[in-house]
Amino acid sequence: MKNQFDYIIVGGGVAAATTAKGLLEHKHDTSILILEAGPEIIAKDRRFWWDYITRGERPYTFTYDQKFEADSTGNIDYQTDGVRVKAYGGSTMHWGAWCLRFRPEDFNLFTNTGEGADWPINYEDLETYYNDAEAFLSVCGDDNANWVPRSKPYPVPPFEWTAADGEMIKAWEQLDVVYQDGDINPGKKSKIQSGKMPIARYRKCMTTGTCKYCPIGGRFNAQYVLDDLKNDTRFINFEVRVNSPVHQVNVSSKSKIESVTYTDNLSGNEYTVKGSTIILASGAYNVPKLLRASKNEFWKDGIGNDHDLVGRFVVSHSMLNVVGKASSNPNGWFQEYDFPTLMSHSYNTKEHQKKGKIFMFKNRTTPNVDIAQLMIDGKTREEIDEIVYGEMTINIQAFLEEKGKHRNRLEAKPGKDRFGLPQTTVHFSRTEEEMKNANDRLKLLEQIIEKMGLEVTSSRVDKPGGHHTTGTARMGTSPENSVTDKFMKVHNTDNLYVCSNAAFPTGSAVNPTLTLTAMAFRLVNHLIEKQTNQTNSNTNNANKTNTIQECLSRESN
Amino acid sequence: MNKELTSIGGPVCNETLPAGLIFAEGQSLTHQNKEALWEIFEAIGTNWSNTIYNSNNQRSSWYEMLKAKTENAPNYAGEYVNAIYVINELKAMYGTGGAYKKLFFESGLDNSAPPTTRLAHCKIYVVNEFIRMQITAGGFKSWGTKYGGEQARNYHGFLGGTRYNRTPRVRAYDPDTNNLKNNQE
Ligand SMILES: Cc1cc2nc3c(=O)[nH]c(=O)nc-3n(C[C@H](O)[C@H](O)[C@H](O)COP(=O)(O)OP(=O)(O)OC[C@H]3O[C@@H](n4cnc5c(N)ncnc54)[C@H](O)[C@@H]3O)c2cc1C
Ligand code: SF4
Repeated sequence: MKNQFDYIIVGGGVAAATTAKGLLEHKHDTSILILEAGPEIIAKDRRFWWDYITRGERPYTFTYDQKFEADSTGNIDYQTDGVRVKAYGGSTMHWGAWCLRFRPEDFNLFTNTGEGADWPINYEDLETYYNDAEAFLSVCGDDNANWVPRSKPYPVPPFEWTAADGEMIKAWEQLDVVYQDGDINPGKKSKIQSGKMPIARYRKCMTTGTCKYCPIGGRFNAQYVLDDLKNDTRFINFEVRVNSPVHQVNVSSKSKIESVTYTDNLSGNEYTVKGSTIILASGAYNVPKLLRASKNEFWKDGIGNDHDLVGRFVVSHSMLNVVGKASSNPNGWFQEYDFPTLMSHSYNTKEHQKKGKIFMFKNRTTPNVDIAQLMIDGKTREEIDEIVYGEMTINIQAFLEEKGKHRNRLEAKPGKDRFGLPQTTVHFSRTEEEMKNANDRLKLLEQIIEKMGLEVTSSRVDKPGGHHTTGTARMGTSPENSVTDKFMKVHNTDNLYVCSNAAFPTGSAVNPTLTLTAMAFRLVNHLIEKQTNQTNSNTNNANKTNTIQECLSRESN
Repeated sequence: MNKELTSIGGPVCNETLPAGLIFAEGQSLTHQNKEALWEIFEAIGTNWSNTIYNSNNQRSSWYEMLKAKTENAPNYAGEYVNAIYVINELKAMYGTGGAYKKLFFESGLDNSAPPTTRLAHCKIYVVNEFIRMQITAGGFKSWGTKYGGEQARNYHGFLGGTRYNRTPRVRAYDPDTNNLKNNQE
């Protein structure tokens, strides 16, 4: 078995797939090994799909963290169980594929508010990579939307608002933005704007609405990219090993990373493989755990952890959730897609940063009536008609931006999961003020529901969780304030990179993966430039040696 | 030994079985089996007046599901054959129409409990799954029009368009006509 590669990538999700594809497209014979802890679960399988339709079963849920494998401490319960897919393809096996750019102010949170952190790069540094990422993920979006600056149109047109979105759109049109205590730079009052949700769907998407296990591959899944790379005859040195958890990154000096050690879960054998460059794309949970587990004579507390920052500043989004009820639904509406179509960025702006930005959307499943379940329960046609045209509920939801704090930390706890990965504990607390701010934001959502003529039946802040975890190996300007530099290279190393949401200094109010994909493209560009510079300097050195030798031989003649 | 008969059906329906899928690896369905199963699927359509649903259009999708469920592990062939025995007994006891009425509306079964009788196996592994398949594959379209509203166009699992199709695949928001019904109220 080959044990020396140009690149070793730990993890087999979208970060790994994007990076591998970028490197291979640049130079076809680059040798890359991807090591994925989880198994391979087939996508687009008809039997799996029918089981999903008829029994609600999805084939990858057995890879989720179990409750006992992942706990949390602090004044907020942080949910890890049932969230991450640990398998070939990573969490894109079941992601929603909402693809939103971060906004310019997200890169300057500390400068703007005195809290959280700044990124060592700006929105402008990432803008062209966002275009690449949108093309790669095939994002369907609205070119008329102006909530974020963009230099290229979306690759695919947007999904239309559903009829059931209409009432919320009208309510937003009637509502003025309500400024809250603590907002900075309130600026001009303007009405809440409606937008069309950008979603990653290939043109072949035929709206079966079962996107958590798409039968035809209409929704992006990193597995498809990895399969294509494996099957492409140009890429003869590309290899993926599944069931292969890495538990140690090995060094030959403080700065030089040499190899990784993994276990083959099927045979129980342990292997060490060497890489000229090593990229940790193992997700925001396992990047910090792996760094801290990699202790040696040069890095006593784990690689990159001299300042005890690895795993700190963990954030995710809490979901604000308000449910409204109408007494009837004469049109028999339901949300016909399996994804949301209506969103608003009116509170995802710079002036709302101090208080905590929110990104609002009508939730993906309401209004809805499970007609089949009513039939299964033995209800007659007449009884079901009454329910379908009767009471209707609609949820409005929002992601709440959280700010990274030193005391909030994600780390390993003793014991391993079924895939040989360390178990997790998350320490997470919010301040009183943040709790109050979250509740104030809920009041805004309640107003919207009331404006729609609905009665508020529930209003709550759901727990944050593993879905959008970021910040655990954040980028920054020095080892004193961060784990990685502006190219996501671990400080004080030459060749160890992190390609993960872990490197994000802020989590914004929107989903992270488009930004992650853009960062992966930027990393590819950096690695190619580094390689080119190295080759040029080797050639120059070789030329210099040749010249010296020529001179010497001339002199001796 | 059969338990005391407490639900519909006779000794066949009430014979106890382990809750897991009936073992059937290597078995397949005959043409007659498939015809008998298709009758159950059609009876679902008629009993819930799925007016827009057209069983013939759905036949190929339904066959495809049967094939996927009997040609891959775990094999459903044992469940399907069991369902035919159950229906035969119910028909003998209540007549064809009565049999389906009893099975769909009066079975007295808890649909979320593990199935431990032949009847429960038939309901949970066959009837309930056929119901889900039928609603997904077009049955949902029956709903939406009752008060003059627009017919639903999509549902989770429904192939609502082709890749060449540019017409909306759902009831889309139209600011001029949206929710006229609600506004009149
Ligand atoms: C339910 C859900 C819905 C989501 N929806 C959206 C959405 O709509 N839009 C959006 O932008 N984002 C969404 N996300 C987030 C999105 O899934 C993640 O941002 C993205 O998948 C992260 O990709 P990744 O490649 O960094 O990590 P992952 O997808 O987590 O992949 C990492 C892989 O590394 C493997 N691994 C870990 N440790 C090791 C090790 N030591 N050795 C070997 N392998 C290892 C894991 O098994 C895993 O397969 C969602 C997440 C969830 C859970
Ligand atoms: S709507 Fe249907 S075809 Fe499109 S991604 Fe979802 S499941 Fe796949």
